[in-house]
Amino acid sequence: MRSYLLHRLWQSLVTLILATMVVFLGIRALPGDPALALAGEERDPASLAAIRERYGLDEPLLLQYWKFVSNSVRGDLGTSIRTDTPVTELLATALPVTLELSLLSLLVAVLLGVATGVAAAVRRGKLTEWIANALALTSLSIPNFWLGLMAILYLAVAVRLFPASGYVPFFENPIANLHHLVLPSLVIGTGLAAVVMRQTRSSMLEALSADYIRTARAKGLSTSAVILRHALRNSLIVVVTIVGLQLGALISGAVVTERIFGLPGFGKLTIDSVFQRDYPVIQAVVLVTATAYIVINLLVDLLYSVIDPRIRVRGREA
Amino acid sequence: MLPRTHGRLAVAGLATTGLLVGLIACSPVGQENTGGGSDGTASPGATATDGERTNKTGTAADPNAIKPGGRLDIALSAEPDLLDPTQARSLYSRYVFSAMCEKLYDLDENSEIVPQLAAALPEASADGKTVTIKVRTGVKFGDGTAFDAAAVKKSLQRNLTLETSARKSELGPITTIDTPDAETVVIHLETPFAPLLAALTDRAGMVMSPAQLDKLGDKFSTAPVCVGPFKLVKRVPQNSIELAKDSNYYDAGKVYFDSIVYRIITDASIRAANLRSGDVQVADSLSTQDAPALSGEDSLEVLESESLGYQGVTFNIGNVDGIGQPAKPIDKPHAKDVKVRQAFDLAVDRDGLVKTVFGGLYDKACSPISPASPFSSDAAQKCPDRDVEKAKQLLQEAGATVPYKIEMITSNNPDSLRIAQALQAMVKEGGFEIQIQPVEFSSLLDQQDRGDFELLQLGWSGRIDPDANITNFVGTDASQNVAGFSDPALDELLTNARQEQDVEARKGLYGEITAKIQEQEPLIYLYRQRNLTGVSKQLSGVRVYSDGILRVAFAGHRK
Repeated sequence: MRSYLLHRLWQSLVTLILATMVVFLGIRALPGDPALALAGEERDPASLAAIRERYGLDEPLLLQYWKFVSNSVRGDLGTSIRTDTPVTELLATALPVTLELSLLSLLVAVLLGVATGVAAAVRRGKLTEWIANALALTSLSIPNFWLGLMAILYLAVAVRLFPASGYVPFFENPIANLHHLVLPSLVIGTGLAAVVMRQTRSSMLEALSADYIRTARAKGLSTSAVILRHALRNSLIVVVTIVGLQLGALISGAVVTERIFGLPGFGKLTIDSVFQRDYPVIQAVVLVTATAYIVINLLVDLLYSVIDPRIRVRGREA
Repeated sequence: MLPRTHGRLAVAGLATTGLLVGLIACSPVGQENTGGGSDGTASPGATATDGERTNKTGTAADPNAIKPGGRLDIALSAEPDLLDPTQARSLYSRYVFSAMCEKLYDLDENSEIVPQLAAALPEASADGKTVTIKVRTGVKFGDGTAFDAAAVKKSLQRNLTLETSARKSELGPITTIDTPDAETVVIHLETPFAPLLAALTDRAGMVMSPAQLDKLGDKFSTAPVCVGPFKLVKRVPQNSIELAKDSNYYDAGKVYFDSIVYRIITDASIRAANLRSGDVQVADSLSTQDAPALSGEDSLEVLESESLGYQGVTFNIGNVDGIGQPAKPIDKPHAKDVKVRQAFDLAVDRDGLVKTVFGGLYDKACSPISPASPFSSDAAQKCPDRDVEKAKQLLQEAGATVPYKIEMITSNNPDSLRIAQALQAMVKEGGFEIQIQPVEFSSLLDQQDRGDFELLQLGWSGRIDPDANITNFVGTDASQNVAGFSDPALDELLTNARQEQDVEARKGLYGEITAKIQEQEPLIYLYRQRNLTGVSKQLSGVRVYSDGILRVAFAGHRK
């Protein structure tokens, strides 16, 4: 287990370094420069030069990269060019928003997805399965931004059940916080739920036809006990994988949804800083996203090996 | 199959690249207000030209109808940048400043300059080289320290000397600033500079607390302190800016709200939705598509005002090596022969443009001088009629191949694209074939500065003094002369207009200048936007003047 862990950690580090390089060079390859974006209409050449100097944009690329990496290691992610706020402060306000939104969306996805997935598998060939499938297909096909706009139009503007946008920190007012997050997490969650539902359904079907289920039934266990304790439990490993794999979808979903609902999270921060060519912020955001992605992958892998020891054995052989 | 390790690296690499690519690909949707974010161009404000539409700039608050207290929520279409009058560059920071940082002078609803922190209009010496400003007494900054002439001098000097100052050129050729007593500021200029007064009605004229400047230096934006009805409480970057009523303010009796929260909502339709749902009570930069429906709602009204800016297209005439480098000849008919540019102008149907693209909510424009400007004149508003036949004839005279192909770069926001397409269809009849090249706003700025374009569609949000709307763009070697245009006769006129102190004489000069630009056409003016602001009828006293700035500091909730 230890060597497997070390091996995976090493892999992760290499990935992270590559990610920083891709991002660093990628954003600098884009046309447009932060000083120009910041200056907008007021583009007096002297002040443009001063901005470039102040943020080290006039230094050689290699030096800029070295500073970015070495400062990041020390926990200094730089200062936003647009707002002059330390990037760590920006991340500290944006991260909890996105984490909360992601957790709530996952919750929606798992609750909806597992429930409809189980129902579809158990009621195979019946109307229930047909409805569940249709719902899944619909939510998969609807883009987040459209669903978000419709939610705002009908649930916020027409009936005023929820606020149209904005955010209140949880510790300031938990109820208002949740009230603001219901719509966005439903929007992201329903898209994910479809994937979870389909996966749950198929692995449940597989499980339900397995020998041990027949044995469990033969022993006289109640249907619910068979479904929940035996079949569902064995199907959950697949759901865990899917949820892990869907993280990418969660992140991209958050980018769009945060913008629509005006949530000051990571996605919004990223988009806004790309438009403004706010290099330090983009770099930091991608660095943190890549790290999160890598760590979660690592955790999912480790979680597998805990749930299913065969994976660990294979890992050691590799 | 890839080995496990490589596969994972590849996936992570792809994920990262994908994220970036995805973000960039998102730009067309999100761009809409980023343009606006940088003070001009796609910014909302703009103008009435032919006076067809009436201005609705809001009315002063009615104290009897107001219930003091409460909070005002405003949806802003872009995020303000640094809240530091010396360094701020976006239109949106001006919105926030209007409630927080008073200036020596201000504009009134008729676009006339009136004293704010100054006690009276300035007095200029006969040679125009000395300007004396009397400042108010008994005024305090938000931190309780006293406001006086020395504070004014400190702020002005910071504007002139701070390295990252965006104000230097606005203030003109100032040599020294004296403060003979606590109420008097004397500005000495190398040459007369008429636009100075207008600059002092904007950020250059805001006075910052010297105590706070000493404490924070160039980090003033993190906790700005000025003289104003409201003061900064907190800023959540990307999200909101919260202000609270300032008890130190000299006219606090006229301030009704307890707090103002500016929330950044970049999408126009979401802004409209928030206004409808009541989550915000004011929203700036409504789209021309939403505005008619919103103004039809019982609980809302839409304010509109002319702006001082313009939108137009610029030809690349000599910008080969980038801005700041000497212009070089470009071997293209549109750069060499003015007839091609004149033909383009004659092929444009401005009336059709504003009607089809903006539902008639914006106004056509043929000059850099807005009719809202006190320096406007008949000569400055002269607009040639569309003449497709003449256009074709001019192209023929210029010996250009018809259809004349020209590539036009434009911002990739929906409005700009619609304008570009409308323009493309119009000039086609006159023998032009525009190839539209939509680029993201930051790239557009980059390309225009490098001279990497044939034709460019962009605008300017406008300033009070006409000089700031013209010289920088068409003056030889000026900082924003992306056309690479140079005409010594025009330069001379511009210098005269800048140094002339008499308003009537300046009016005449700007008429001549307009004619000169129309003759050479480095820039073809197309239309002026109007500032469209949605306001809840529950409020009294919200105003938007021709400078496009939302004024909410003295408004309140109705009883």
